[in-house]
Amino acid sequence: MSEIGRLAIVLGFIVAIWGSAASILGGLRRDKALVASGTHAAYAFSALTGIAVLALLQLLLTRDFNVEYVASYSSSTLPLWYTIAALWGGMKGSLLWWTFILAVCNAVVQVQNRHKNRDQMPYVTATMLITGGFFLSLLVFVTDPFERLPFTPSEGSDLNPLLQNYWMTIHPPSLYIGFVSTTVPFAFALAALATGKLSDAWIRTTRRWALFSWFFLSLGNLFGAAWAYVVLGWGGYWAWDPVENAAFMPWLTSSAYLHSVMIQEKKDMLKVWNMVLVILTFALTIFGTFLTRSGVISSVHSFTQSGLGPFFLIFLGIILAVSLGLLVWRLPMLKSKNELESVFSREATFLLNNLMFVGIAFTVFWGTVFPVLSEWVRGVKITVGPPFFNQVNAPLGLALIFLMGVGPVIAWRRASWSSLKRAFAIPVFAGVATGVIALVMGAGNFYAIVAFSISSFALATMFTEFWKGMRVRQAMMGEAPWTALSRLIGKNRRRYGGYIVHVAMVMVFVGIVASSVFKIEKQTGIEIGQSVEIGGYDVRFDGIEDESTEHVEIRKAKLAVFDDGELLGFVYPEKRFYKKPEQPTTEVAIWSTIGSDLYTVLGTYDEASKIGVFQLFLNPMISWMWIGGFVLFLGTVVCMWPTYAERTAEATSRIPAGSKTTS
Amino acid sequence: MLLTSIAGVFGIAPARAEVPTQNEVETALTCQCGCGLTVHSCNHVNCGSGIPLKREIGEQIGEGRSLPEILSHFENKYGEIILSAPTTRGFNLIAWAMPFVVLAIGGLTVGVVLWRWRGATDADKSPVAPVPPTSASPAENELRERMERELRERDT
Repeated sequence: MSEIGRLAIVLGFIVAIWGSAASILGGLRRDKALVASGTHAAYAFSALTGIAVLALLQLLLTRDFNVEYVASYSSSTLPLWYTIAALWGGMKGSLLWWTFILAVCNAVVQVQNRHKNRDQMPYVTATMLITGGFFLSLLVFVTDPFERLPFTPSEGSDLNPLLQNYWMTIHPPSLYIGFVSTTVPFAFALAALATGKLSDAWIRTTRRWALFSWFFLSLGNLFGAAWAYVVLGWGGYWAWDPVENAAFMPWLTSSAYLHSVMIQEKKDMLKVWNMVLVILTFALTIFGTFLTRSGVISSVHSFTQSGLGPFFLIFLGIILAVSLGLLVWRLPMLKSKNELESVFSREATFLLNNLMFVGIAFTVFWGTVFPVLSEWVRGVKITVGPPFFNQVNAPLGLALIFLMGVGPVIAWRRASWSSLKRAFAIPVFAGVATGVIALVMGAGNFYAIVAFSISSFALATMFTEFWKGMRVRQAMMGEAPWTALSRLIGKNRRRYGGYIVHVAMVMVFVGIVASSVFKIEKQTGIEIGQSVEIGGYDVRFDGIEDESTEHVEIRKAKLAVFDDGELLGFVYPEKRFYKKPEQPTTEVAIWSTIGSDLYTVLGTYDEASKIGVFQLFLNPMISWMWIGGFVLFLGTVVCMWPTYAERTAEATSRIPAGSKTTS
Repeated sequence: MLLTSIAGVFGIAPARAEVPTQNEVETALTCQCGCGLTVHSCNHVNCGSGIPLKREIGEQIGEGRSLPEILSHFENKYGEIILSAPTTRGFNLIAWAMPFVVLAIGGLTVGVVLWRWRGATDADKSPVAPVPPTSASPAENELRERMERELRERDT
């Protein structure tokens, strides 16, 4: 099977070279046969990478430890689900998985555009095949996932125990889908620049892809936070680790793009800026891949140090040189209308919003690379950790949430002072009232009070928008409230879906602020039968249970959770000792409510004294982050769901030109 | 001076003389076990770095030292890498200043762009018929117009 996999990636690499060359030549010469050959190569590339993935999966499932990758990332006792997850648990597998997702995206793009965008498609195909070919070239020439060992170990080294968690089975695929699908808008942007067809067509074509990639980047980041929260056991979910930063940066520039692109669609402005954001987002995904695989920056998340760094840097350089070169070449054709009636307009708030997104992205980038810079310049290793990122980004984050509240209400073109006063009366009242209530309730932290006020302001503008729209429909159509609301959303999916996403982001933001500022923590020894109090809960240590399987030994504490003397239930924090590799891990146990999480970690247990040492955290409102994730999903689905008109247009576009239709 | 002001506003340069809490110092230092977390966040069982550091922090606080003094002690002993944020001295000041410089340049650019676009509109502006006064705000009128348009689309 390894031979089949190896053959598939070698053929895939050859096909990628042929397909990209044929597509570019076909596009330049307007040679339909060559273009068609490029398209076929894209499909073949998908099939071949699919075969390679299936081959590696088969090797993992059959525990063929003669294959170096299988021996390094699985074992005979690894549960099936994690054996499948081992496909992306190591560097080689993750590169193959990445290439496969890209190949699938390429095939879907080919199907979607088989009757449209025909001038641009050769360049789209070429861009995607060159990117896919680059990844396959690493697998063919540098780091072969199908490499066989000169001997067969009797047992595998197993998947890192930290990765043996359900979040780990969905976090990397989500993030990879988000990363890889940014290639589609990038490819269309390059195609638009190459062909000189710089109307909004490429933006309309890739609108859903941009949303799709943004959504999966959002999910990937949230799932990663959830994984860190339940696996690392330090009571937090985000540590500004370089690899977390690598996943966050494209999300920021992608978010900026989703906003600024609306100005291009509505006002024919910011054409160059939108190109820059699409290029930057894609480049940041490659930069993130470089960070995790080069070993240039140490991180708990990164794969083992490898020699891949220079290849990614060269590829990144080529991407930037080609795309920015094309952009400069086409600058004269990218003239926008550039008219603005007033600085008090939605266009202006969107520009400020972009400034904040890109400002935060730069701060994250700068903080991530500064240790390397410091070592180069001064020869001194330094750390840039949470205090830096929190202090610099907190005011920018607040400004973003404020603009989130301002943007939807302020009018396109021009907003008068009187309209601003009317539009903002309720939201400003809500914001001030929330601040006062927070102050009265004893929230002494200035940032938290400002953050809650601004969040309340932003939520109020969103709800006011829904309310006003619903009332207008009710008045004009005589519809019942729920009918009016659902039709309001159904008729304006992009706008109201966007508002739902904004509500989700405010929820996530509030969860971050509350859980960071008002966290209570306690490290304490508890004797069996005794209780400790934390944040209004009483936690009683009821005993220890030991379990053992051939894969892992588990020491499990039983904690009873009481509120006001009433038993709410039990939680079971664990210490696990994995046998292959011999490594202890922490399995936290959480009593979660909408108001707070009681987060329990078992430290040690002394048999003689019957005392367990526990870390207990009370994380207020953290579940709002995860609920925000569901709301975000809902909002994105609303945004992406095609309207009747779009479905009709899509169906019409499938009919080849010149074909007969019956009526 | 400007940079020092920025640092001061965001509390980067701790100037307090009072004794800090254990939590404050632990958060300002990075655990050296390779976890990448602050000393406060590292909860590795029997961590060879985090646990002695926590003990040492406790001793420093017990001696009544201020936060800058304690951080200076750890910096001298373990090197700059132990601090969880760059210092505000020399080359490291660039780390703090650069995001604000970039934001300032970006803000200035946005301001200039908005001003120029607005100027372009003023120059091109042709006389328009005055909008009849209504009781509704422009935003509400816009919403109503949109609704009417959508309802028309729905009926056709």
